[in-house]
Amino acid sequence: MIWAVERIGTSSLVVLKSFQDTLSFAITTFLRMFRRETYNSAMRMVLVHQIYFTAVQILPLFTIISIIFGSLFIGIVFQVIKNLGLVEYLGRILMGFVVAELSPFITVLLIALRSSSAINAEIAVMKVNNELRTLEVFNIDVVNYLFLPRIINGVISVVMLSSLFSVLALTSGLLFSMLIFGMSLDVYTNALLNSANFYDIFISIIKCCTFGFFITLIPIRFGLHASNELTSIPVAVLNGMVKVFIAIILIEVLSLILRFI
Amino acid sequence: MGLVSLDAPLISNLDVSINIALIKQYHDNLHKDEAERIVIHYLRRYGMEKIARQRNALLTERERFCVMLLRAAMVADAVIAIDRPFKMVPDLQNARFIYDALKNIDDSFTECHIFDYSWDEDRYRVTDD
Repeated sequence: MIWAVERIGTSSLVVLKSFQDTLSFAITTFLRMFRRETYNSAMRMVLVHQIYFTAVQILPLFTIISIIFGSLFIGIVFQVIKNLGLVEYLGRILMGFVVAELSPFITVLLIALRSSSAINAEIAVMKVNNELRTLEVFNIDVVNYLFLPRIINGVISVVMLSSLFSVLALTSGLLFSMLIFGMSLDVYTNALLNSANFYDIFISIIKCCTFGFFITLIPIRFGLHASNELTSIPVAVLNGMVKVFIAIILIEVLSLILRFI
Repeated sequence: MGLVSLDAPLISNLDVSINIALIKQYHDNLHKDEAERIVIHYLRRYGMEKIARQRNALLTERERFCVMLLRAAMVADAVIAIDRPFKMVPDLQNARFIYDALKNIDDSFTECHIFDYSWDEDRYRVTDD
């Protein structure tokens, strides 16, 4: 019995320590974002490259997925609205569901699958190859040069791609509203604009920023856990990606609690 | 100090040009184009401007040594430390190649120190002819 309690206690302490370390790392990097000297020429170049890899290269795939998922969800939502006779709540449901919940969630899943895993592996490989030591030897701050561009890119990319998803989904919503309800463009636009709630949009943007921040910060932190052996790379990526998905769920739950209290 | 050593490898996901330019961009906040112009200028002295867009894995040992040397020389008022050069370029019989590589860019650093095993001392005795 005592053995079991000890095991639970030890595991809890390990989880709490990891959580505390992640938060401490998050605070350090977050504060660095607001220092002017962080943004030198080398850092800006990495930031531009990262935005290209994360938000631009993915555009064709992301657009197709947005149109397919957006149309599918909007089609289902419209059919349910019609069956339940809730047409007057159309705008509210679209803004509350598509813009505030669906867009950030699908976007963050796609970016986590593609970019978080890449960042995790990249940092782990750099650690194994001693490349992080190279940067230290040349007095290059790894937080400023390597980590911050990736984290800022995560924030920018999730916000921008989530907005794109919303626009594409709402545009396909226009087609469905015409087909199912025979609604005109003016009526549809008015329904959306009248339902736009500043608080919802604000929470949605904050949620996207938080998603972007943590889905890049966590892979970096776990990439740094790699040892000097090549075999530690898959372990570092696996651990990092599991934590990324836990973080996504936690942020989603917290944002829902914030919206509905 | 600019270090040339196997313990400070080139960054594998950056090409040669950016690996070298990085020092100037980071420390002197030099624009990317300006930093790359300087890098190409020095690579030309080695006749290696063609490798500017190549990554570490594609370089020969001699090319890698020159690139690491150039990167070290990019440090302001550089004091270059070369750590066991024969380990980086194992096919060298003597230090002629190392001396020539240093001479080609002697305007870019203030001092250079080579650290190596004492049993390799003879390999550094190279005559000028």
